[in-house]
Amino acid sequence: MLSVEAVSKTFGGVQALREASLACAAGEILGLIGPNGAGKSTLVNAISGTLRPERGSITLDGRDLTGRGAEHCARAGVARTFQNIRLFKDLTVRQNVEVAYITCRATRAKQAAGIDIDALLAQYGLDDLADVPAGTLPYGSQRRLEIARALALGPSLLMLDEPAAGLNEGESEALAMAIEGIRRDVGCATIVIDHDLRFINRLCDRLCVMDQGEVIASGETLAVWRDPRVIEVYVGQAQPA
Amino acid sequence: MAHMEISASTSTAVATPSGPAKPVLRSLLGGLVTALPVLAIGLLILAFAPAYYTHLALAAFVNLIVVVGLQVFMGNGNIANLGHSAFVGIGAYGVAVLATPPAMKKLSIPDAPFGLADIALDPLTAALCALLAVGVVAAASGKVISRLSGVAATIVSLALLIIVHSVFLNWTDLFKGNQAFFGIPKVVGLPGIMAAAVVVIVLARLFKDSRWGLQLRASAQSPQAAAAVGVDAKRLRLVAWILSALICGLAGILYAYFAGTISPKLFYFQQIFMTLAMLILGGMATVTGAVTGVIVLSVGLEFIRSIESGVSIGGIQLPQLLGLSGVALGVVIVLSMAFRPSGICGRHELDEQLARFFRRAR
Repeated sequence: MLSVEAVSKTFGGVQALREASLACAAGEILGLIGPNGAGKSTLVNAISGTLRPERGSITLDGRDLTGRGAEHCARAGVARTFQNIRLFKDLTVRQNVEVAYITCRATRAKQAAGIDIDALLAQYGLDDLADVPAGTLPYGSQRRLEIARALALGPSLLMLDEPAAGLNEGESEALAMAIEGIRRDVGCATIVIDHDLRFINRLCDRLCVMDQGEVIASGETLAVWRDPRVIEVYVGQAQPA
Repeated sequence: MAHMEISASTSTAVATPSGPAKPVLRSLLGGLVTALPVLAIGLLILAFAPAYYTHLALAAFVNLIVVVGLQVFMGNGNIANLGHSAFVGIGAYGVAVLATPPAMKKLSIPDAPFGLADIALDPLTAALCALLAVGVVAAASGKVISRLSGVAATIVSLALLIIVHSVFLNWTDLFKGNQAFFGIPKVVGLPGIMAAAVVVIVLARLFKDSRWGLQLRASAQSPQAAAAVGVDAKRLRLVAWILSALICGLAGILYAYFAGTISPKLFYFQQIFMTLAMLILGGMATVTGAVTGVIVLSVGLEFIRSIESGVSIGGIQLPQLLGLSGVALGVVIVLSMAFRPSGICGRHELDEQLARFFRRAR
């Protein structure tokens, strides 16, 4: 269970996060949406420890992660992918997953829970490419490798930053099914950022809508789309006739 | 994304404790394969070469150990190091001060502090003490360097070199200043240095393939992604820095024990650039690259040195070309940076290249 309470962050006078709060339970898929510059990636960076928030608190399964640094958060079970793919390009596909797998001592326990490098590679269709340098993979495979690497941590929280960007319809449908598979098999809390609203609506149990650093609405997917503030952000204000 | 649907249909990734077959053993064998050419060259020289070449080979083997040490930090951490000769110097001066017989020290450093002029340890104990000194200096400097990255770390390593060199030059009571420190017991010959080189090559390979080496290489390629999977890059840089320093220190100890005479300028810019050129030429990503660079450049520089003093080819007397070897070093660095920045060997170790070759041949 991830719990983010009233987190704020400013960049040189610009309020990137304004008392943003959200919660995501184990086994839940939460969609984090909003226009460009709404603060979605900033919030993910704060949760994953890359950024230190000025105020507020972040806890995962009761453990305080606020401002603890990315390595610490990863070891505590926070896994993520990046909007612009960040792989270890010269390492092989297998080694990319291995780095994440060997880092966390907690994964010894998770080994028993069924995480295995070869199985992960097979599951993401990367087993034939295991000895290829990650930088030479085609785009779609790189995206899958990022997810496989994140799962090798044995996460309690998985955050996917625009995983469907650049995928065609068939590919994003396959991705949605894969994410549902993660929910079923790993059972972690999952946060998905994306601009593809069809993808988000099809996949997510709940939505959290951000605008200008603020969480303006959160709740069940269908209910959120009836919220007037969300409609205003996405469709524009109703003009008086 | 063609395979993505698989993950949705198959159930959880079931644990099958397979993994690669004994990875440590594979690295060990790989290291030995890499050391094989070195061993072969050494044995040929031992068996057939005249004394002059034996002496050259000794110097080349010491360079080899330095370059392999350099590879441990530079190759895995991808941070340029300009200070490694400080550790070579500390190793060499460590045994010079500790192992030289008192009779010699009465002549060379009679005013040495802590009563060091009156004692002499046996060579092995002295070597261990010298390595300890290297380790202490490496741990202290590593604390600073491991927090930095890129250019900042490189500049600090350069500062370390200059500090250590100044101490050798100016603490004359202990290190004899810029005069040669002589009388060090000559207890090491070519076989000993060869054995050390093989051990160091295997050690560097084991480190590279270890979980530390793998994590360090990952963090060098994407610091953000490495942190996001829990890699503590600072700690790993510190570990690599200390191991690199100890290997360089060992090279210094061996040099002192075979040459018997040392002076501060041996462990300064000349050596830094020579070993750096060797590593860059061979390719710093692999231990094989370090070995290859040393072999190619040692042979090349010896050839150039023979031209330097002026030779006659077909009756035409070439003029003396003093400084040609220095120019050649610079040219090697520039050309390899420009045309083959990953060096002669690129990304793959010798055993990996052989394995690929045989797989293709089949």
